[in-house]
Amino acid sequence: MNDLTQTIYVVDDDEAMRDSMTWLLEGEGYVVACFDSAENFLKARHDEMRGCIVLDVRMPEMSGLELHEKLDGLGSQLPVIFVTGHGDVPMAVSALQRGACDFIEKPFHNEDLLSRIRRALELDSQLSARRERDGAISHRLDQLTQREREVMQLVVAGKLNKQIADELNISMKTVEAHRARVMEKMGVRTLAELVKAVMSVN
Amino acid sequence: MADAARAAKNFAMLMRPPTPQPKHTRLWLAPYVAIGIFALAMLVLTALLQWRELDTARSALEGDMHWAERTIENRLHAHQDFLAELGREQEFKQLTYEAFQVKASRYVREAPEIQAIVWVDTDGKVEWVAPNEATAVFVGEQLGGERLAALQEALRVRRAVVSQDYRDATQRPSHDIIHPVQRGSADLGAFIALQSLETLLRATLPTVFTTRYSLTVVDAQNRELLSNSSVKPTDRQVSGQISLELPNNRLGLNIVAYRVGGAWLPFVPAALITILTLIASVTLIQLRRHAHHRAETEEELRAAYAFRQAMSQSLITGLRAIDLEGRITFVNAAFCRMTGFDESELVGIKPPYPYWPPEEFDRLQHNIDTALAGQAPASGFEMRIMRKNGERFDVRLYFSPLIGTNGQQIGWMASMNDITEPKRARVELERAHERFVTVIDGLDSAVHVADVQTGEILFANRAFQNIFGFDSVGQNSAQITAACRPAPEWLHHDPATLSADELPCELFDGEIQHALSGHWYHIHERAIRWVDGRTVRVQIGADITDKKHIEEVNLQQQKRLEQTSRLITMGEMASSLAHELNQPLSAIANYCAGCVKRMQAGNYKLDDLLAAMQKASDQAERAGKIIRRMRDMVKKGDPNRQPIALEELVDETRAFADIDAQRTGTQIVVDLPDNLPKIVVDRIMIEQVLLNLLKNGIEAMGDVPVERRLLTLQAQRVDERMLEITVADQGHGLAEEDIEKIFAPFYTTKAEGMGIGLAICRSIIEFHQGRLWVEPRREGGTVFHFTVPIEE
Repeated sequence: MNDLTQTIYVVDDDEAMRDSMTWLLEGEGYVVACFDSAENFLKARHDEMRGCIVLDVRMPEMSGLELHEKLDGLGSQLPVIFVTGHGDVPMAVSALQRGACDFIEKPFHNEDLLSRIRRALELDSQLSARRERDGAISHRLDQLTQREREVMQLVVAGKLNKQIADELNISMKTVEAHRARVMEKMGVRTLAELVKAVMSVN
Repeated sequence: MADAARAAKNFAMLMRPPTPQPKHTRLWLAPYVAIGIFALAMLVLTALLQWRELDTARSALEGDMHWAERTIENRLHAHQDFLAELGREQEFKQLTYEAFQVKASRYVREAPEIQAIVWVDTDGKVEWVAPNEATAVFVGEQLGGERLAALQEALRVRRAVVSQDYRDATQRPSHDIIHPVQRGSADLGAFIALQSLETLLRATLPTVFTTRYSLTVVDAQNRELLSNSSVKPTDRQVSGQISLELPNNRLGLNIVAYRVGGAWLPFVPAALITILTLIASVTLIQLRRHAHHRAETEEELRAAYAFRQAMSQSLITGLRAIDLEGRITFVNAAFCRMTGFDESELVGIKPPYPYWPPEEFDRLQHNIDTALAGQAPASGFEMRIMRKNGERFDVRLYFSPLIGTNGQQIGWMASMNDITEPKRARVELERAHERFVTVIDGLDSAVHVADVQTGEILFANRAFQNIFGFDSVGQNSAQITAACRPAPEWLHHDPATLSADELPCELFDGEIQHALSGHWYHIHERAIRWVDGRTVRVQIGADITDKKHIEEVNLQQQKRLEQTSRLITMGEMASSLAHELNQPLSAIANYCAGCVKRMQAGNYKLDDLLAAMQKASDQAERAGKIIRRMRDMVKKGDPNRQPIALEELVDETRAFADIDAQRTGTQIVVDLPDNLPKIVVDRIMIEQVLLNLLKNGIEAMGDVPVERRLLTLQAQRVDERMLEITVADQGHGLAEEDIEKIFAPFYTTKAEGMGIGLAICRSIIEFHQGRLWVEPRREGGTVFHFTVPIEE
């Protein structure tokens, strides 16, 4: 499921590593962009980037881990594959805990790297699809009126129409009308679908 | 008690100023002048009185004289008249003998001065004598001499004549009154009356007269015939002379008044006045002297008072006098100042006094009772009293008995000192001393101070006393510390010969083993000037036995650590090199895999493949170099030292360092002097050190602006053995605490550093008998120095 807009961003201070990585990945048909330092990558980064980052852990100045931290802070959801010369387990654990996608130790077999890259790209695709869907639900939610949203929240919470009417101090008929309009606006047919849609956004 | 009160009053008076003395004038002369005038007036008055008295006496004398003259003359005239009567009767022959006898006897009886009346013939032959019983002359007696001459004279001149005076049979002065009787021209004879002068005077002059005056009868020749003078003194000033003109004779009567009351009498008043004046003058002089003395005393008193007043006022000690009942009789200015009460508010008050704070009443009452009972302690009372404004302060009160002028105690004098400040200072001093003692005694080191000359220990702290005995102060330092003492020849100076200018002066600093306990002490000895000016030795001995032991243990541990470190170093070096090896190997794998993939897919350009293969080959070579370096390093138990030019070594190292330098934009400046000698080193090792330092420098400048990223490599010859190489960066520099730590194994300031590099570098340099150290660069940054041996 190769998304043509996806790019592999290689961040490594060793020129030979960048060059050879590019050679390898381009041979596989990926789009590769190289950066010789974390700073340069940060300069180039934008929210529309799609794909994954292959990040060398040990670099002068800003290290790979620091860059990862910064990207998290910026809300980047690009999967990160760390490349390290030292199989440093505690470091790997902390990196993975912070949401790194994967971790590979040099020297690595090219298939290992490629399979990790594939997995990362797939994750990226899922994330972007979900972002789109969430975007749609959010859009629909935005169209609800204040009263409809209140009714919807109580419906999702599992309250009966009568309870809702009492709570909001409105008539049963009004509740039913609001409920029907919520279902319509949210593009769902059953209560279960509504709950799923609302939960996915939250 | 009344006496005491009076004495107290006197004392109070004493404390008040005496009345001022009038100004000195000539007034004191007035009494003298008055006395002089009075004495003079009295003398004049006395003289006047005496003169008047004399005058009166003279007048009286004159009167008396006239009276006497008249009386005597009358008497004589009476005699002559009687004789003349007889003569007339004889002339006319009417007179018989018997009649003569009767008349004459009768007359003689009435006039006792007439001794006899005789009838003589013209030749001087006595014919009749009356009275019969007269003894002065006898009938028939022939007159002779002057008496006859006088008779003849009388007959010749035919009138009565008085003969010259003569001495009669009894040797009394007498004369004859001769009355010639003639009838016609014939001489019949003459009646003669024999008159005694003495009797004449006695008969004519009253006794009052003779007792008042001294009478002297003189003849015409002024010869003294008769005198009634007695032993009584006479006053020549009151005298006179009566001249009795007798026919043919002249008698003088000198009259001199007897002095009344003695010769000295006139001088008595003058003498008395003089004496009185003298006495008065002397008294006055004495008085004046007394007054003068008194004035002087008063002046002294005033001076003493002023002195005392000034003293009392200027005293900062408060003075308070109380009588025996505790009533305040006097307070000085300082006392008022201290308490804030006026003198009028205090004097006359009995305890409790207004400056007693209520909370101290009982104690102060007890104090005053004790003091009044005469049992006040010599050290006085320390008490807290209150100012008028309520402020409390501490004082010390000393009591001493107040003795009046009569020698009796009239009260108590108390002196009061404000000891708030001294007390605070004393407490502060005590605390300071306590702190000092605590600190000194708290020291582990034995501290003592000994006099240079006598060796007497003047001060010793607890640690010293613990070692050398608790009675060591005052004893001889040389004896006490004989077991642990630097020998005199070890001292830098002979302390006894040091002058004051040379102090303080270090005498000894070294380690000495206690001969008895075997403990080691680090002895530091100095000569200083002691608090009283003499030169003393201060010795501080620190027990370093444990430290010495620890040092030995440390040394062994250090050796073990070095061995361990060397092992670790080798392992780390291998690890480091393995990491470096990963890069080219990964790259090679990537290039190869890329080629394989492309060839498998059949989608390739030959040129691309060739380029990739070439790159893979380069990386393989890079890996080879790393391997070789690793092998070189590992194989050497013994470094392979060979002479090499520094330039060559630097060039090779730069080839590696330039990769990082270019990437970071760092400029590496190599500044080597010409004609540097070759260095004798293991090339790979020193290259590794240099590379490490260069890389460190490049990394250190990672966060400075690019234009400042300048790394300088310099070299200079230190001496004939060593060459010094410096690598200076302009980076962030090292923190003070990091400077020494950076050489410790596993220490790093870099996030992903291994902390091995500099430790290894130092090991390598020390391996070459060189030194590696670091200094901060003055303009910012760090300078690494290391030295390596040069070819001899």
